[in-house]
Amino acid sequence: MAPKSKTTEKAVAAKKAVVKGIHGKKVTKIRTSTTFHRPKTLRLPRSPKYQRKSIPHAPRLDQYKVIIGPHSNESTMKKLEESNTIVFTVDIKANKRHIKDAFKSLYNVDVAKVTTLITPTGSKKAYIRLTSENDVLDVANRVGFI
Amino acid sequence: MPGVKAYTLREKSKADLEAQLVELKQELASLRAQKARGASATNLVRMHNVRKSIARVLTVINHQQRAQLRLFYKGKKYIPLDLRVKKTRAQRRQLTKHQKSLKTEKEKKKLTAFPQRKYALKA
Repeated sequence: MAPKSKTTEKAVAAKKAVVKGIHGKKVTKIRTSTTFHRPKTLRLPRSPKYQRKSIPHAPRLDQYKVIIGPHSNESTMKKLEESNTIVFTVDIKANKRHIKDAFKSLYNVDVAKVTTLITPTGSKKAYIRLTSENDVLDVANRVGFI
Repeated sequence: MPGVKAYTLREKSKADLEAQLVELKQELASLRAQKARGASATNLVRMHNVRKSIARVLTVINHQQRAQLRLFYKGKKYIPLDLRVKKTRAQRRQLTKHQKSLKTEKEKKKLTAFPQRKYALKA
């Protein structure tokens, strides 16, 4: 083939443009299902330019806030002697796990289980049962109970 | 027993203050236990003092932290919201003094060309 000159190239391109049109061909995806599912787009994690709060708050329910004080009457004394259990008034927002951890860290004793109830006056009472190796009376003395 | 004084706390380091906080909280816990047994008047007074001392220590800790953060953010563009100027919501949205003072070219030319004249009457 003879090398195409510029003019013939232009002529060919013009013919093509006339026949096929100047707009490109639209490519449509083949859809195999009748339902349209939202396409998954890029989700970036947050990267804030500044902290909204300057100082994050200290834990609001720390061990000292959870355990308020011992609760003492004849029935609790009975529990103390018989079932190795000590009764405490506790913050209402505390749950059994909070109470267990707080008691352990404050008094260095192992807790077997905690049962709680909310008194009619609106405070929370926790029956803290210590493991059998611990002496409740010893703990009670330390607490300042007796 | 009057409780801690704020000016003595301000000299302490953060670790000292936190240690003191723990001490005070323990004291409060023991006082509460004593209260359950039966409180004397002095005990109740002490409880009040201890609670206020705890508040003082926390205040000083907070002051120190915020002061350090303000130094850290000084000159930076984006500051945490609670370190920004508070004023009022409307005032924060007003134009700044500089923005209010800006004049158009046209206005500037007018002012140079036709300044406010002062006249005096000859007595």
